[in-house]
Amino acid sequence: MNLIETKNLSFDYIRRDEEGNVEGITRAVDDVSLSVKQGDFIAILGHNGSGKSTLAKHINAILYPTEGSVFVDGKDTKNEEEIWNIRQNAGMVFQNPDNQIIGQVVEEDVGFGPENLGVPTKEIWERVEESLKAVGMYEYRKHSPNKLSGGQKQRVSIAGVIAMHPKCIVLDEPTAMLDPNGRKEVIRAARALNDVENVTIILITHYMEEVIFADKVYVMDKGQIVMQGTPREVFSKVEELKSLRLDVPQVTLLAYELQKRGLQLPNGILTTDELVQALKHVKIRG
Amino acid sequence: MLRDITLGQYYQTDSVIHRLDPRVKLTATLCYIISLFVVKNIWGYLLAALFLAGVIKLSNVPFKFMVKGMRAIVFLLLLTVVFNLFLTPGDPLISIWKITITKQGFQTASMMAVRLVFLIIGSSVMTLTTTPNNLTDGMESMMNPLKKLKVPVHEVAMMMSIALRFIPILMEETDKIMKAQIARGADFESGNIIKKVKSLVPLLVPLFISAFRRANDLAMAMEARCYQGGEHRTKMKPLVYKRRDRISYAVIAGYLAICIVVGRIL
Repeated sequence: MNLIETKNLSFDYIRRDEEGNVEGITRAVDDVSLSVKQGDFIAILGHNGSGKSTLAKHINAILYPTEGSVFVDGKDTKNEEEIWNIRQNAGMVFQNPDNQIIGQVVEEDVGFGPENLGVPTKEIWERVEESLKAVGMYEYRKHSPNKLSGGQKQRVSIAGVIAMHPKCIVLDEPTAMLDPNGRKEVIRAARALNDVENVTIILITHYMEEVIFADKVYVMDKGQIVMQGTPREVFSKVEELKSLRLDVPQVTLLAYELQKRGLQLPNGILTTDELVQALKHVKIRG
Repeated sequence: MLRDITLGQYYQTDSVIHRLDPRVKLTATLCYIISLFVVKNIWGYLLAALFLAGVIKLSNVPFKFMVKGMRAIVFLLLLTVVFNLFLTPGDPLISIWKITITKQGFQTASMMAVRLVFLIIGSSVMTLTTTPNNLTDGMESMMNPLKKLKVPVHEVAMMMSIALRFIPILMEETDKIMKAQIARGADFESGNIIKKVKSLVPLLVPLFISAFRRANDLAMAMEARCYQGGEHRTKMKPLVYKRRDRISYAVIAGYLAICIVVGRIL
């Protein structure tokens, strides 16, 4: 069975004037159907306003579908009795690290989720320890979050979600406010969780370099899924991505340009190593 | 650095007093304040001074940190002393021109001064040895009985601890906005007080907007982590009384009893 399933999901943002009359309706998500299996690493791409964050908030039952439905672990998010269950199973990490850390000490923040779930004290400590170790922040457990770097704060946020033992973690542009080093740290932590703990990851981002490890990539535009497939399949369609105002990774772009000039390279090259290997096998003509 | 600011005046060190349960410290401070108002003679004040000196010694906090707290009340202290000294009727002690200092006036003035000084130092000992976080926990647990009267104890404590967490963030933000406004020619320094207050408006408006935005984000993040208020919630660091806490309760009860006997009856 699929862990997450959306069926013809649509969502409208309704703007109202002061008297509460409807001024305008913006369709943020339009007829999206997707399914995610346990243990998958999924990436959702799209430029600003493509509806990717709105879609993410449906998985955590923060927003409810206007039309269609969302199932998390077989449970409908519209069912109010299941809402806390769904939120525990589908953890969420947000964009701004400062606005999601509640505790004044790292370990207290990680303990916040389990406290809310009513986990016994002794087990909270065990969970906090294992989660902080999983993201490599254990030695910072006594620190104040204000003194950490952006990447470290975001790793603490991830640990806070892991401590709730979710089946899936939705990362909603977790790296948008970080420097390149912080971005690498966070993506590395997410990949490790996926590899080692088999946690399903849904990464929402507009950085192409971050999605080349994903099992499957969805590209969104104007609330709809316009492309899907493995990173290789998606990135081989360079022109199509450009028309959606998305950049492909630099290496892919270089390979694509070389290809256009007549070099015989395979489609959808994702890493520097791959390009080097491919170039070695190119037969020099003439 | 702005980031290093801690609210209150916690002094980081290790001592028996630091390790005490915050509830014990809150109760002890309350008892100490009561004792100051119960005693009526010199022996009582001597006892209070000895007790305070003992606690300060145990707390390992340098005495000068206690005195720092006094600065805020110097004016109040002077006012109290002056009024009591000159305006209490009774047997004249010294009389210069129209001003008379009476024996009773001298007594009340010195008593009031000593009381105020002890009171401030006594409560500084508590804030110097307890982290704000710990203090919030202690208050929440002590006010638990009020839940029956529908007082939202847990919510108030949660608000306090979130406020504490966001103070450094908002300070940093203020600093950032201020620099941005100065870069565009804003003047926060010159002019009279009215002009200075007016110049704060372009600082406060963006700060408030940003604070509301943060609050919105935080609420969403808390809900995403299954926060449903105080019910069914467990504690990561529950407050548990240890032997030293029970001993301290006994000591403070004993002190209060002796104070009543010595300060009132003798």
